[in-house]
Amino acid sequence: MNSPRAPILQLDEVVYHYADGSSGLDHCSLAIAQGSRNAVIGVNGSGKTTLFQHANGLFTAERGSVRYAGQPLDYSRRGLRELRSKVGLVFQNPDRQLFSASVLEDVSFGPLNLGLDEATVRHRVDTALAAVGMLEHAAKPVHALSFGQKKRVCIAGVLAMEPELLVLDEPMAGLDPQMQAELLAVLEDLHDKGISLLISTHDVEFAYQWADTIHVMQQGRCVLSLDAYDLPAHGEDLARAGLALPTVIRLHAELVCQGILKPRPQPRSTHELLALLGAREKDNSMPENSASLARRAV
Amino acid sequence: MLIERCAYSNHWRSVSPAAKALFALCGLLAAFLAARPQAACCVALVLAVVTCTGARIRPLAYLRAATPALLFLATGSLSLLISVHASPTGVPQIGWAPDATSQMAHLASRSLAALAALLMLVLTTPLPDSIGLLRCLHVPDLLLDLMVLCYRMLFVFSSAMQDTASAQTSRLGYATPRLALRSAGMLAANLTLQVWQRAAALHTAALARANDGPLRFLSTQFAHARRDTCIAGLAGMAVIALGVLA
Repeated sequence: MNSPRAPILQLDEVVYHYADGSSGLDHCSLAIAQGSRNAVIGVNGSGKTTLFQHANGLFTAERGSVRYAGQPLDYSRRGLRELRSKVGLVFQNPDRQLFSASVLEDVSFGPLNLGLDEATVRHRVDTALAAVGMLEHAAKPVHALSFGQKKRVCIAGVLAMEPELLVLDEPMAGLDPQMQAELLAVLEDLHDKGISLLISTHDVEFAYQWADTIHVMQQGRCVLSLDAYDLPAHGEDLARAGLALPTVIRLHAELVCQGILKPRPQPRSTHELLALLGAREKDNSMPENSASLARRAV
Repeated sequence: MLIERCAYSNHWRSVSPAAKALFALCGLLAAFLAARPQAACCVALVLAVVTCTGARIRPLAYLRAATPALLFLATGSLSLLISVHASPTGVPQIGWAPDATSQMAHLASRSLAALAALLMLVLTTPLPDSIGLLRCLHVPDLLLDLMVLCYRMLFVFSSAMQDTASAQTSRLGYATPRLALRSAGMLAANLTLQVWQRAAALHTAALARANDGPLRFLSTQFAHARRDTCIAGLAGMAVIALGVLA
């Protein structure tokens, strides 16, 4: 379970409208705990990307407040530079983020903007590229990379700024299962290093498996923020937001109903569910094994 | 794409761009200083052979890359042989200008040598390396920013154009000349919109990474830059000597 931690990012009743008058955020409130893994889930147009752009100071709230580390955001040039050095934003489409000619150049872009000296920037670039497994591709042109590699370079470009909070907009979109697994390993590694993570996804299964806290967005508002372990009790809330409970929750509930599994421990993925079933079969066969051992001993 | 492929896969990929630029500059000087057309042709031949053998660029790829420039050169040079003059009656007349042959030979051979020098540079040096070199030479930021963005967008829009054209082709968009014209117009309109959207997206992405001024990037480091530049300088002087003395 998630222990209570101080919020690193907090939105209170934030309202935002786009230039065409459409609503982006509608009295949206949520808090991101320091060092936690957060998934924002919601259907298309529910306000996930708008929320993320508020976190990085790209959008300014019309009403309400956005706080980072307890302080309201400072939208001055200096304040934004400081905020953006702490909150890294990775966009959904890598071709809309990568604009340098080569991988090395693109990853160096952020830290150079922070005014760091060349030696420090080179060290940070190498470390960031190594963290996402792209060090050997440093000299490659960006257009020669695969989609998954471009996503990794995007993450490295933000990691090189050494953010405290990493915000990723739909990081799994367009990736095949192997690339998703590799990216998940990268995210786990970042979490182990103490970086707070906030990602958006349509994939409720993934959110349930990975996140400590899940935030549900609906029509520009965060309608639910809950510990991932509490998700099974909120099927109706998810349905109202146009989402379904993860299959593993429904399957586990059915197996509990049939008396095959116990309500606890609660599996978060199909792997964990299969492990529980495997352990149960092993437990059931234990008396027979014990009996046969006993027979042999006699 | 051919030039891009050669630039990334040649044997001189790891050679300092400063060294290659110096050698190319010497090639240009040799072309300029060549006293006779034969000397300029010799310089062009040497530069082409050095590029193909030293950097291991396939001769066929070299010729393909050179073809558009050679066609342009041929057209421009041959036009020097034609003179337009007014007849006694005042009607303009077109005729041969045999006395321009020598001038044409000089111009064509020097241009050929200059082309060989530039081809040596572009076929062996990826554009990011060249931009890095220009940055070291303190070329204005605005010019470099434009070069970086144009280079990146070239590939993004090439891909977007291919995707849109494929989607149109799969729905018979190019089945008849009339449909092809209409589809091409729609493709151009679509790309124009994408240019505008992408420009806004890139601006947002740059802001998100704390950018508030010129685009700053690190350049690739080359381990033996000094040694490479010395060798290139010596080789370049030999090429200049060839142009002057041959």
